[in-house]
Amino acid sequence: MKKNILTLILSLSLIVGFSLVALTAPVTLQFNINTEPPTLDPALTTDTTSLLVVGQIFLGLTNYDSKTGEIIPELAKSWSVSDDGLKWTFQLRNDVVWTDGTPVTAHDVVYSMIRMLNPKTAASSANLLWVVRGAEPYNTGQGLVEDVGIKAVGDYTVEFTLEHPVGFFSALASRVCVTVPKQAIEKYGAKWIEPENIVTDGPFKLSEWKHQDYLVLAKNPDYYNASHVSIDKIYCPMVVEASTAMAMYEVGKLDCLRDIPLEDLDRVKNDPILSKELHVTKRWGTYFYGFNAKKPPFDNPLVRKAFASAIDRKSLIEYVLKGGQGPAQTFISPGIPGYIDGVKEGIGYPYDPEMARKYLAEAGYPNGKDFPKVTLMFNTSEAHRNIAQAIQQMWKDVLGVEVNIINQEWKVYLDTLQQNTPQIFRLGWMASYPDGYDYLKRNFYSTVLENYVGYKSPGFDSSVDELERETNPTKRMEAFLKAEALLCDTDCAIVPIYYYTMQELAKPYVVRDFTPTINDVPQFKDWEITK
Amino acid sequence: MINYIIRRILWAIPVLLIISLVTFGLLHVIPGGPFDEEKPLPAEIIANLDAYYGLDDPLWKQYTDYLWNALHGDFGPSYSSRSRTVNDIISDHFPVSAQLGALALIIAMIVGVPLGTVSALKQNSFLDYSCMFFALLGVSVPAMTLGPVLIWFFALKLRILPVARWGTLQQAILPAFTLGIGRAALLARLTRASMLQVIREDYIRTARSKGVSERNVTIHHALKNALIPVVTVIGPMFAALVTGSLIVEQIFAIPGCGKYFVTSITNRDYPVVLGIMLLYAFLIIMANLIVDLTYAWIDPRIKYN
Repeated sequence: MKKNILTLILSLSLIVGFSLVALTAPVTLQFNINTEPPTLDPALTTDTTSLLVVGQIFLGLTNYDSKTGEIIPELAKSWSVSDDGLKWTFQLRNDVVWTDGTPVTAHDVVYSMIRMLNPKTAASSANLLWVVRGAEPYNTGQGLVEDVGIKAVGDYTVEFTLEHPVGFFSALASRVCVTVPKQAIEKYGAKWIEPENIVTDGPFKLSEWKHQDYLVLAKNPDYYNASHVSIDKIYCPMVVEASTAMAMYEVGKLDCLRDIPLEDLDRVKNDPILSKELHVTKRWGTYFYGFNAKKPPFDNPLVRKAFASAIDRKSLIEYVLKGGQGPAQTFISPGIPGYIDGVKEGIGYPYDPEMARKYLAEAGYPNGKDFPKVTLMFNTSEAHRNIAQAIQQMWKDVLGVEVNIINQEWKVYLDTLQQNTPQIFRLGWMASYPDGYDYLKRNFYSTVLENYVGYKSPGFDSSVDELERETNPTKRMEAFLKAEALLCDTDCAIVPIYYYTMQELAKPYVVRDFTPTINDVPQFKDWEITK
Repeated sequence: MINYIIRRILWAIPVLLIISLVTFGLLHVIPGGPFDEEKPLPAEIIANLDAYYGLDDPLWKQYTDYLWNALHGDFGPSYSSRSRTVNDIISDHFPVSAQLGALALIIAMIVGVPLGTVSALKQNSFLDYSCMFFALLGVSVPAMTLGPVLIWFFALKLRILPVARWGTLQQAILPAFTLGIGRAALLARLTRASMLQVIREDYIRTARSKGVSERNVTIHHALKNALIPVVTVIGPMFAALVTGSLIVEQIFAIPGCGKYFVTSITNRDYPVVLGIMLLYAFLIIMANLIVDLTYAWIDPRIKYN
């Protein structure tokens, strides 16, 4: 009798114990981040891995809702702009704390922005803040920190005074204005980002980091909206080899997979289980070929138009890329403010072999006769090579011209683009923040470094200046239309080819959406695991 | 003998110096710098970064500064991993590569030596031909192909081994095997050739005629001498396995030194490249020295002075 009661009690406690464990077992997501993040300091991040982790553990002033296309509050609960467009005032939440318990205040924001502009920090994205008064001189070592127009008014209000009106400053703030902890940086110096030292304020915190191996993000219970976050732990291995990551996904060691190896795509699409787990996510980036208008024969706009019209984007996407990409006739990606639908507005050069041949004939090379041999360059990669070979063939078939294709290792390629821009070269652009100004200014404004095509159009420059300062959305769109029309149509300085997409595999128990995000940073705080 | 060892170690110093100079020179000759990005940084920011890391000093000063720091044990910061120094990187990741290399070597020896021995003893038999065929396969199939195939078979289809990563013994099996099997093939062929030569020696015939059992003849007399050439390759082989593990580390997501070595070159992370290069050079020099000493110890006919 005693023995039976004992057994009963033991079994009951085991059952209760296991149920409790099941109830309290942490909800874990296994997500591959591919490589070791070079840094987790928001001022120094440029690569997508670092940005992914930073995006989970730090807060920006604002954020971007891709579904509504609106800038939404984050650290700042509201903001306003003065009538002359020069002063932006952000009211901060007063319930945000660092993981060490201290409150996040306006002084932290000012400290972070000044630190980013400090030339000694050598922050990579500091130039995005040059719209602030006094920022550029201070950042380039020619001005005083006292003259920088960023001030705290009390503990929870920050004022930015700009050089000139900037209509999209709140969009800029979502990416650039990330607050960092002064107390940790001053105490630990460069090592402040190590897991034992780091202090953060975002929905997740860094709980473990074994370099080159994996890192673990844990839910931050002090996050101001912690009740909304349902994932407790994110385990992030760093597996660089795509086929290995694919195998790990198939045995259940990864819950999501972003880089599906091209050779596995057909198998995945035909597999009854995997095909249901495949999703195509649009990305805010554009793949394009640029023409060096300083090198003949591309100094002739007719030649550029001929080459642009001979590219069959649909076939390229269907047979070479196979990723559900969108064909592109304009430069800014769909979903980013400033996007112009090239087909609807009649801007850009769709595939038209007849017109292509006509342009080339008008340029003086009927059927490609006497056309000099030209070079197309790209940075070494299987994908770029496949695209280049396909397009090389299209140019030969439609226009009768010979194009030589050459590839170079990435850093050598960047150097070549700057020192000796090839006649045709491949590049891509990913949005740095949710506004098309970034696309146009950073690549094709006459005075910027990255303007490898050597585009010098006063009309384009003035449209870009206008859409930078204009706050009226209708007038802004008119300026975007004008700029894209000049860039992709009238002057045909580049030929946009496709808008990036990402093919992702996700286990059915991962409840998430597949909308694009800036720099592809997943919004883990909105995901759920139903296991 | 001591004099010999001291002389060899002293010779290592100019060798390492030359390697550091050549590496440093090459790094600065190739186009592209550590801070070239897809979204190029404004010239002023690159100037800030260069100043921060002393990259705006004249090249000779950068080199001598590096040497001076290195002599004091400071191998510099990493340009791409901003919170880590080269010392951190090597101390965290080199042991992993060394473990992988050691396991691969053990597999190479366990598989290769018996295979070669058996082939030699049963020369020209079916067993001999099959063993040598496997040896040829092992040497011909590159890690890049073998690794994913093993993952596919053992981890995906049979599900008896983990796919990748490092830390447990099960995780070590596939990568060590992938890395070691090529060397096993080499050791098999070497053992076989050496064994064939030794068992024809007079002293082996003498031992047999004295009535020593075949097993004792093989192991005690023949193998011991046949292994001399094999031992001489084990040292450099270990060094080569440790330094050449990049592809296996990449396929199996192992946090070793090899991955860092190659990514640091593409990132133009000069101090990391130099640090790992010098480490590998030192390893190879030491491995060769140890092998030469072992050689002298095994074979009494060899003397150093």
